Amino acid sequence: MSEQSPGAPPASAIDVMSGHGVNHLGYRGWNGKLESGGLRWTVIASVGIRRALTSSWLKRMLFLAWLPALWLAFGFFLWEQASLYPEWRDSLTPMMRMLPRTPAFDEIRESVSSGDFETSRHTVWAWLLQTFFRYPQGVGMVMVVGMVAPPLISQDIRSRAFLIYFSRPLVRVEYVLGKVASLWVFLSIISTIPALLLYALGVLLSPSLGVVSATWDLPLRIIGASVVLMLPTSVLALCFSSMTQESRYAGFAWFIVWILGWFTFAAATASNAMNGGQFTSRGERAAAMQESAWTHLSLYHTLGRVQSWVFGFSKLEDVTVSIMILIAITVISLAVLFRKVSAPMRV
Amino acid sequence: MPALIELTEITKDYGKFRALDHVSLKIESGVTGLLGPNGAGKTTLIKVLLGLVRTTSGHGRLLNYEVGRQAREIRAKVGYMPEDDCFLHGMTGVECVQFVAQLSLFSPVEALRRAHEILDFCGLAQERYRPVETYSTGMRQKMRFAQAIVHDPPVLILDEPTSGLDPEERQIMLNRIRLLAKDHGKAVLICTHILPDVQSISDSVVILARGRVQVSEKLSELSRPVVPALEVRLLGDSTRFLSSIRNRGISCEERPNGTLLLLGDPMTLADDVWKLAAECGVGVRSLTPSRNSLEEIFLNAVRGETHHE
Repeated sequence: MSEQSPGAPPASAIDVMSGHGVNHLGYRGWNGKLESGGLRWTVIASVGIRRALTSSWLKRMLFLAWLPALWLAFGFFLWEQASLYPEWRDSLTPMMRMLPRTPAFDEIRESVSSGDFETSRHTVWAWLLQTFFRYPQGVGMVMVVGMVAPPLISQDIRSRAFLIYFSRPLVRVEYVLGKVASLWVFLSIISTIPALLLYALGVLLSPSLGVVSATWDLPLRIIGASVVLMLPTSVLALCFSSMTQESRYAGFAWFIVWILGWFTFAAATASNAMNGGQFTSRGERAAAMQESAWTHLSLYHTLGRVQSWVFGFSKLEDVTVSIMILIAITVISLAVLFRKVSAPMRV
Repeated sequence: MPALIELTEITKDYGKFRALDHVSLKIESGVTGLLGPNGAGKTTLIKVLLGLVRTTSGHGRLLNYEVGRQAREIRAKVGYMPEDDCFLHGMTGVECVQFVAQLSLFSPVEALRRAHEILDFCGLAQERYRPVETYSTGMRQKMRFAQAIVHDPPVLILDEPTSGLDPEERQIMLNRIRLLAKDHGKAVLICTHILPDVQSISDSVVILARGRVQVSEKLSELSRPVVPALEVRLLGDSTRFLSSIRNRGISCEERPNGTLLLLGDPMTLADDVWKLAAECGVGVRSLTPSRNSLEEIFLNAVRGETHHE
């Protein structure tokens, strides 16, 4: 055996380095600057987002979820054109027919026919934004969350990644916040951001920037409606994900909640309608369904009721039960989620 | 030497089952082997140290942080390599190590640089760009080791670090651990069933059985036999040598493998052996002070506990 030359690395280092290239430096200590401790959840969120974006179906879904915004942008355009140019007012007729048959909207119809657009602008914009949240984005949310959420925690359970997370200075709240945040990013992309852009488009198309003073509350209502849409749904989806090692079971549970709820509500409402007589118009039927006590069977319709209150189309006392249901879903889901996340550590 | 880990009367119950029973021990810097049969409480002890489970009673300190209450501070200073095959689904090896570094609050760029540096040290070459799901057991083992050391922690807790490795890789892994302890001053707690691994790199040994500490001692002290003795292996006919040594009043046992065990102070006996071997015309193949094997120590500790009960 040859003798070790002066200045050469210690024998133990040579043993470790055997078989490596000349650029191998061995072990070196680290004494750099660490980042703020409050940002750990963003690391978890960014990984969740990157992993989800590997799905080409999700990318297609995100693209499709923006198409309804274009349709509603056309609604904003028509309204503002009609407010500026009287010759455009006839083109508003189909839109006016779609407005609900309530006293508030009847007043809007009258003011539009008399050419007074200023007093009804706020209500019409709020109605357009509520329509956006309630119908296309409600369905889009179910699809996007159903694609992103199921593997978020179940895969960590299956690959026992909890030991990797929690052997680091990480607490359960940061872990759950990171997972929830990855869902919120996608939900914001399909709901909050396009809704805020629609509002901005409305302001830009309007006769003057003075409309901001009349509609300043709408961005806040958009954020409120986003919270109503995102918080209970994302926590419920993660709760399902935390209850199984198999993502497909979590996905199945998620979709079944929406589908079963919808069909039960539809069946109960149809039965009521048959017993109580026919409605004379579609608007009447829609209003009756909206007010039906059976809406609480369907999470989709429960969300819709609360969003309707957020945009100012319902009174608080009318949606108290719906709000309580959403709060209960959020609290119970969070309790299960935290318990399931800490369970592997207790064994 | 100051104790890095000091536990006092730690008890942990899972319902009616007592996993740790009034465990008190001190662990100093260097490499400490944590041994015990299955179900002895080793993993529970590690979880207690990391603050992953709450103790039923007792208290302890790790690097001057209170065990349990200052779990976040402790986890920031400890590198833990779990025994379980755990990984982050859908990520490459380098992304996994980078992610763990970011959880330890490295900036993304610095975490990536450090991940490459540590993967070089751990011997994961181009495989680092493959998804972790495609890794062999040995590769995953190296990656878990990389995740444990990426943030340069002063204390390492390694659970079965050499399981699943081929003999050559096992030796290289032990050399890595030895290098971190000796050249970089890390305190290493190594939990394994492979006793030769512990014997080859550990300075101290803790043996747990049924939730209790049976042995906590320096390996050099444990290896020292109750009666000092010298093991001698000769080349040639040993009959004349044996009668000569007995004539000098030295107690001698002949073992089945041909080794002679001479009872007495090894240093004094060695001089006599050389002289008598020359007189009797036999060669001395080896001359070593007798030591207890770790296997003997381990079995005695575990059996001793069984007899108590």
